Amino acid sequence: MADLAAWGDDYLLGTLVVLKVFVVALIMAVIFGLIGAAARLSRNRIVSGLAKIYVVAFRGAPEIIILLIFYFGIAVSLTALVQYFDPATKFVDIPPFWAGSAAIGLIVGAYMTETFRGAFLGVDHGQVESAYALGLSKFQTFFHVRVPQMWRLALPNFGNHMLSIMKDTALISVIGLEEITFVAQMATSVTRQPFTMYMTVALIYLAITTLITFGVAALEKYANRHLRGAR
Amino acid sequence: MTLDPQLILDSLPLIAQGLGITLKLLLYSALFGIGLAIITLVMRISGRWYLSWPAQVYIYFFRGTPILVQIFIIYYGLPQFGFIRGSILWPILREPFACCVIALGLNSGAYVSEILRGGVLGVDKGLTEAGKALGLSSPQRFIYITAPIAIRLSLPAYSNEFISTLKATALASTVTLMDVTGVARTLVSQTYAPYEIFIAAAILYLAFAWISYVALAWLEARASRYVKKGN
Repeated sequence: MADLAAWGDDYLLGTLVVLKVFVVALIMAVIFGLIGAAARLSRNRIVSGLAKIYVVAFRGAPEIIILLIFYFGIAVSLTALVQYFDPATKFVDIPPFWAGSAAIGLIVGAYMTETFRGAFLGVDHGQVESAYALGLSKFQTFFHVRVPQMWRLALPNFGNHMLSIMKDTALISVIGLEEITFVAQMATSVTRQPFTMYMTVALIYLAITTLITFGVAALEKYANRHLRGAR
Repeated sequence: MTLDPQLILDSLPLIAQGLGITLKLLLYSALFGIGLAIITLVMRISGRWYLSWPAQVYIYFFRGTPILVQIFIIYYGLPQFGFIRGSILWPILREPFACCVIALGLNSGAYVSEILRGGVLGVDKGLTEAGKALGLSSPQRFIYITAPIAIRLSLPAYSNEFISTLKATALASTVTLMDVTGVARTLVSQTYAPYEIFIAAAILYLAFAWISYVALAWLEARASRYVKKGN
């Protein structure tokens, strides 16, 4: 336990890095999800086809492969680009934080695409028609009729996607970001107590995922407050 | 800078060398997971707290932590304890392959258990009541009435979980296994062509995910062949 206490600061900093990746990746995933859902619902066949390819590729390929493509791929591309202007450059390194956040954002964005699309289609069509009949514009219908119901429909899946993002952050240790899994690797090589160190990582993740689960449950209760008694 | 399609085609047979390990990992951990899921399901629906609590703690832990950390705890962590190194299981727990099967199986078991529970809860109560009226005992009702319907109801969600397990096998490369991802990572370090080789690996995973999807969809169609269409 004394060994673990000595690494307390590193675990704390690692947890902060995990939370930062989580926030950045979540924002990216929501943006990609909204763009993807809009594209999937588009009447333009090429646009919706491209969105479909995005969803299939990023949901079907292993997360770690996508992460490695991002990290090493962007590094190679950037190196080639910089060498074109300055042939003396040997290698351009890209920060694992951004490569990792972008990769996780794109992966979970593919899942969010389907969630948002389902939520959009889940709103009762009769309500949309009555909104038009009452003279609401397309814009007004979207924000006053669709959105208030869409977020309620998307919430359970959205919570699961947040948990996926949280758990995927552990992968970024593979490309060398100093988050908690990476801290545990360092600590293990010094203290020779791998079980203690990795179990600590697991418990930190468990604490964060539990908080997310409770948060989403509270939001769901709030979102469905008008349905109470109906179910 | 430019993508070389020829290199993607050339690297496919090389990467396919890792396919054997990936498939073995998938098959063993999926079977192990199903076994665990059935045991924990029975523990949870038994109605006895000393059976259902351990099952719930197990499910909570394995669903709330990243698979990568679970693999590290089992592969790097367990040898911290002398009694494990001295036990008869040590020749198994020393092998990265066995450790990955255990970690992936434990993980998938937790998810599948939840899926099966959803299936069991989805079985119409009237059917088991009818079984009771016909004089079937509680185990008979479970085996002949609840289980076959619960399996059919669980298949769509299980299909997703199976593909998740396939994707999770890619993490075996982090503990030195030469699966598809492991071979791809070695090739990248030799050729330094990350796009081509990782994309070739991703294509293999996508192809396999698609095959699993089609096979499980066929199974689902077969399992519901007597269900009235259009329900």
